[in-house]
Amino acid sequence: MKFLALLFCLFPALAQAKTNVVTTITDLATIAREVGGDQVNVDSIAKGTQDPHFIEAKPSYMVKLSKADLLIAVGLELEVGWVPSLIQGARNPKVKSGEKGFLEIGPEIEPLEVPSGKISRADGDVHPDGNPHFYLDPIRLGKTAQLIAARLGELDPAHAAEFTKRGNAFNDRMKSKTEAWRKRIEKTGVKKIVTYHKTLTYFFDRFGIANPAFLEPKPGIPPTSGHIIEVINLMKTQKVPLVLVENFFDVSVTKKVTDAVPGSRAASIAVDVEGEPGIKTNDDLIEQIVKAIEGK
Amino acid sequence: MRFSLFLAAALMAAQVPAHAATGKPFNPDLSVNFLGLAQSGTSYSNDRTVANSHNGLQLQEAELQILSDVDPYFRANALLSISQQDGKTDYGIDPEEVFLESISLPYITVKAGKFKMAMGKHNQLHTHAYPFVDAPLINQRLLGSEGLNENAVGVSGLIPTPWFTELTVQGFSLANSNLFNTYNSGDIGGLAHLKNLWDLNDDATVELGFSGAEGKNSVNQMASILGSDLTFKWRPAEGGKYHALIWSTEYLYGQRPGLADASGNSQRNLGGLGTWLQYQFGERWWAQGRYEYVGVQRSAALPVATKESALLAFLPSEFSGFRLQYDWIQDRARTQNDHTIAFQYNVTIGAHPAHSY
Repeated sequence: MKFLALLFCLFPALAQAKTNVVTTITDLATIAREVGGDQVNVDSIAKGTQDPHFIEAKPSYMVKLSKADLLIAVGLELEVGWVPSLIQGARNPKVKSGEKGFLEIGPEIEPLEVPSGKISRADGDVHPDGNPHFYLDPIRLGKTAQLIAARLGELDPAHAAEFTKRGNAFNDRMKSKTEAWRKRIEKTGVKKIVTYHKTLTYFFDRFGIANPAFLEPKPGIPPTSGHIIEVINLMKTQKVPLVLVENFFDVSVTKKVTDAVPGSRAASIAVDVEGEPGIKTNDDLIEQIVKAIEGK
Repeated sequence: MRFSLFLAAALMAAQVPAHAATGKPFNPDLSVNFLGLAQSGTSYSNDRTVANSHNGLQLQEAELQILSDVDPYFRANALLSISQQDGKTDYGIDPEEVFLESISLPYITVKAGKFKMAMGKHNQLHTHAYPFVDAPLINQRLLGSEGLNENAVGVSGLIPTPWFTELTVQGFSLANSNLFNTYNSGDIGGLAHLKNLWDLNDDATVELGFSGAEGKNSVNQMASILGSDLTFKWRPAEGGKYHALIWSTEYLYGQRPGLADASGNSQRNLGGLGTWLQYQFGERWWAQGRYEYVGVQRSAALPVATKESALLAFLPSEFSGFRLQYDWIQDRARTQNDHTIAFQYNVTIGAHPAHSY
């Protein structure tokens, strides 16, 4: 034992052989940090203020990935425009697709909006494997924590029990908070919300809110004046009280909508952790959306 | 011969797995990109057999790209270019890039086939990814319309520095008719490229590259090309969907011993640079300007040429774009200045891989 202590003093790296984790988005990074605790170093590629569909594959991200033991991605083609280039440039076979060091969460969490028929780019940026924005559903976040815990345990079996414990604790907390958030949302009476993009699909599905229209005419296509008139008419007809705009989109169009629909209001919201200065955890992120619905 | 036939038959029998015919999951990513051009220029011909330099409408280029992992060790990329053959109105198919590269080696990537060499930054771009409708003048004059795109093998790897540093070393066939064109197919040229990139902050990066290539030419002397490139990119982490700025400058210097004009005057040395600014001022709009100077270093027989370009681009989506470009060219070998205007559409269908940063 004394020998081991001496060895760790002489070679600190042996004592601190942490698992290097890189995540594609901040929402996964905060979970990996909580689940991994002191046994992991975690870095996110995208910032919380960026649209994760359109991250540029900066070579500096390749440097991060070249040292990673685990890459955690959303999947469902959210990062298809940048992750493959980063993996190739990193020259780190550990984080290749199919290896233990590459974890895609999306396919494991029952994706919504999986197209059933033929899809075409005439429909905009459609994701053939389903909507990738699951990270705004607290229940799926809990499942994500457990998936990350399991994979960290495979990479670092000595700490597997700790990862499992923290993953389960995260999951339990999300379940508990979801019930509290559900009650608060029900109390607002808001049943329908318009958004800019299909980012909140999972959140709305979890809390029983309809999303009858989008400011984008089609996914990835900027709003047109003709489409905005259609949205305004729909909001009037269906009495939609709220427009939520993901904060990396231009909010100027929102005012036109709320001015034209009496009694409606709009809010700009972060949809990723660290998307606003005060949003440091997944809990903060969901709490912020609930507060926006409450009008706080 | 009998052995070869036996080997081929054995390979075919052994290598076709049971799942090979099951379809889509194993289909490669397939995409087609095509560029249409309507242009008019005082230096352009009215003869439609003059490829890429005639007035009027033309299909500038179509690229068919097929990309897939081969097995756990390699991926392969075949990019076939369909473009007008010079002197004809017919179109021909050329293997613009056909290569395989390693995907399982730690620290390095090994690449073999025919591909765009790591000579500077612009030379590695496909036509549809050019920042302007055309390549910089110095690239065209030193490397030709296809650039330095050769049969080659190469190795690249990250150097462990605090910033991004990538070193690429390539050996290539000396077929480029502008620079090398050696008669001996056994002659191999050498190329080295060092790429550095620093993150200034979350919003901005600076990239600095150095490259050089050398090999024998048609008069059995050593021809060479040196290059350096500097690129500043700014795309804010907040609001980056709507605003961005790129400022690139690239310098190339070629030494071509034995090259002379009809009077025997040496045209050995030629150096030139291009610098261009691209500003994104809306989600789908870019305004760009470019200045070029060819003859920074030059043999006395070679005239100075300058070119100024302005471009406005509208990109309805990631998969389509329309660009209007105006050029003002002053070539001191000519008595008049030239003006050209070009309207280009750029369309991609299918599963096209992302472009490099």
